[in-house]
Amino acid sequence: MTDTPLDFGDPADLDRLRRDFRAWLAGHPLPERRPDEPLPVFLHRWHRQLHSGGWVGLDVPERYGGRGLSALHQVAISDELGACHAPGIPRIGYLAHALMEFAGEDQRRRWLPRMLAGDDVWCQGFSEPGAGSDLAGMSTLATRHDGHYSVRGQKLWTSYAQYSGLCLLLARTDRGAPAHRSITAFALPLDRPGVTVRPLRAMNGDDEFCELFLDDVRIEESERIGAEGDGWPLAMTTVSYERNALDTGHISKYGLLVERLRRVARDRRGELPDGLLSEIGRCFVDYEVLVAHARRRTAERLGGQAAGPESSIDKLLMTRTEQRLYETALKVFPGELHEEGGELFGDYLYSRAASVYGGTSQIQRNIIAKRVLHLPSLSKPPNPGAT
Amino acid sequence: MEAEEFLLVRDLFRSFAGRFRIGSADEVKPSPRAAAQRALAELGLGELRRSSPPAATVQECALLAEEHGRQPLTTSLLGTVLLAPELLRVLGAGRRSDSGTTATVALARDLRFPRADTSELVAWDCEGADSALCVTPDGAVTQAELGPLAPSADLLRGIRTVRSPQRIIGRLDAPGHQHWQAYALVMVSGELVGAAREFVELSVGYARERRQYGQAIGEFQAVQHLLADATVALEACVSATRYAAWCLDNEPPERALTAARVAKAEVNRSTVEAVQAGMQVFGGIAQTWEHIAHLYLRKVLLGATVLATTADLLVPLAEPEVTR
Repeated sequence: MTDTPLDFGDPADLDRLRRDFRAWLAGHPLPERRPDEPLPVFLHRWHRQLHSGGWVGLDVPERYGGRGLSALHQVAISDELGACHAPGIPRIGYLAHALMEFAGEDQRRRWLPRMLAGDDVWCQGFSEPGAGSDLAGMSTLATRHDGHYSVRGQKLWTSYAQYSGLCLLLARTDRGAPAHRSITAFALPLDRPGVTVRPLRAMNGDDEFCELFLDDVRIEESERIGAEGDGWPLAMTTVSYERNALDTGHISKYGLLVERLRRVARDRRGELPDGLLSEIGRCFVDYEVLVAHARRRTAERLGGQAAGPESSIDKLLMTRTEQRLYETALKVFPGELHEEGGELFGDYLYSRAASVYGGTSQIQRNIIAKRVLHLPSLSKPPNPGAT
Repeated sequence: MEAEEFLLVRDLFRSFAGRFRIGSADEVKPSPRAAAQRALAELGLGELRRSSPPAATVQECALLAEEHGRQPLTTSLLGTVLLAPELLRVLGAGRRSDSGTTATVALARDLRFPRADTSELVAWDCEGADSALCVTPDGAVTQAELGPLAPSADLLRGIRTVRSPQRIIGRLDAPGHQHWQAYALVMVSGELVGAAREFVELSVGYARERRQYGQAIGEFQAVQHLLADATVALEACVSATRYAAWCLDNEPPERALTAARVAKAEVNRSTVEAVQAGMQVFGGIAQTWEHIAHLYLRKVLLGATVLATTADLLVPLAEPEVTR
C-alpha cells in the first residue's frame, strides 16, 4: 500500500458536507456551560445538540441511526469543530465499531441508535487493578447460571462511569481457558444492584477516572455481546480504533495550541531563546506529520484496509506530539506554573497520561515488534548478561 | 500515470537497481559507476515530466527516488534525472540545457540551498553530469561547467566543484521558485526514506535470524523496542514525504513548500535515528568496512545536511506563514 501513490485529498462530497455543517453550526452555536456544570454533563448537552442536526455517527449505517457515510465524513466534522474551538464529537466511534462487529442484529438495533442520540451514555470497563496493560490477567468473573450470569470483580480507569448508564464490560467466563478464548463482553446497566461506582481524583483535579465494584451483579444472557469468548477479539478491535489517529478528536486541539505557540514566536521574536524557537518549530513539525499521517490512514481506510496493529504506530506518534507540545507550551507560558487551576497546566498534566492510557507506549512497541514486524516471541526465559 | 503504467516503470527501475547495486564500499569504482549511470540514462526517466502536463506526478517521482535510495547505488537519479530536468521544466516549457549536455544541480559548498554568494558552489549528485544549474536566492538560474571531484563522506554520491563563470539562463518567478525548492526537498527526502526503510527492513530480517544466548536476538524485548521505535520514526517520514509530494501535485506551491520543509525536518532526524538503530541490531558486523551499513549511514547523515539542515528549518517553521 505504501509503495504506490496515495490520494491525500478529500472526496468531492466532503466539501459540501463541511459547508452544510458550517451553515448548521451558525444557527446552532455551542451552548454556554452553566456555572458548576460538570464537563461531561455539558458535553452531553452538546452531543445531543449535534445529534439533533444529524452530525453524530455519520459512518454508522442508517438502520442503526447513523447516516451510512464513511469514517472520513465523521473526521471532517471533527475537523470543523476543532477549527472553531468547539469540543469534538463525543468519542463513541470505537464503541460503535465494537457493537457493529460483534453484537447481534437485535442488540445493534437496540443500542446503537440510543448510543448515537446520547440517550444511553456508555463507558468502557476493561482495565482492572491487577490487569492494566495485560488484559489476559483479568480476574473479574462472570459465572453462568440458567439464562443469566453473576459477575464479581473490580474495574479501574473507567472514564466517566459516574455519568454513564451502560458499561461495555469484559469478564472471564472460563477461569481455565486461555485469555483469548475465555473473555466475554457484556452491556451492563450501571444501575443494577451490586454495582458501585467510585470516582478517582486525577492529578489534574478532574474526576474522569472511576473504580467500578461488581458484587454478584446479575447480567442477562441477552446482554452478552457476541458469543462467550468474543471479548478478546472485541477488545482488540476496540483498541485498534481507539489508538487510530483518525478516530480521536485530539488532532485539531493540538493544532490550535501549536498555532498559539507560533503566534507567540512571531510576536515575541528576538525575546525567546533560539532553543525554544526550535522547540516550537519541532512541535509544528510533529503536528503536521501527524496530520499527514492521519490523512494517509484515511486514504488506506478508503482503500479498504481495516484498522489493525499498525494503529500502535499512530498512538506513539500522537503521544510524541502531545507530550512535546505541552512540555513546550509550559516553557512558552511559564506563568501557568504559578497560577491556581491554569488550564494549560491541567492539560500538561493530562498529557503525561498519553503514554499510559489506551495501552502504554511499551505495550505499543511490543505490538509493533510482534504484529507489524513479525519478530519472534521469546522461546525461553532470557538470561543474557548473567554471570 | 495509470496505476499499471507506474508499476511497470517501477519494476523496470527495480530490475535496474538490482543489477547495479553494489555489495560493498570497495565496489565504488569509476568505470562501473559510469556504466551504471549510462544504464540509468537509457531508462529515459528524465522524460517523465517533460510533457505538458507532465506524465508522472511528483508523488510518483518521489516513489522512484525512494526506490533509488533503497539500494546502494552510485548513480545520480536525483541530480540528473529528477532535479535538473524539473528545474528546466519550471523555467520554461520545452527548455533544455545546452544540447548534448547533462545537467545536475549546484548547491552551496556545505550542500545547502545556494545563498547570495555563489562564488563557491559544488555540483551535487554529479555522476554523468557535465554542467550544473544553480538557483540563487532571488530566483536567477545560472549554468556552469564542472571542475574536479570534491571529497564527500557519502561514498555513493558524486560531488564536483563548479567552475566560474556561471551564465544566467533564466529566472524563476516566486511560485516557480517555491515549487522548485519544495520539489527538491521532497525528492531528497524520498531518497533518504528509501535508504532508511531498506536498512531497517534488513536489520529486522537479521534480528529474526541472528542467534545469541541460544535464541534469535529478535526475541529480546530490548531489540524489539529498538526496531519498533525505528519503525515509528520511519512511518512518520513516509507519511510526511508522501503528503508533501501530493501537495506539490494538488496544492498551491506555498502550501507545498511548508509541507516539504516539514517532511525534510522529520526526515533529517528520523532517518538517521532509524539507520543508527538498525546498525545497533547488526552489532559488530555493521562496524566493518565491508558491510553495507556505513553506506546507508553516510547517505542519511550527509543527506540530513543537503538543501536544508534541521536548524535551517525549525526556526522559520516556528512562526506562522505570512498571510497574503
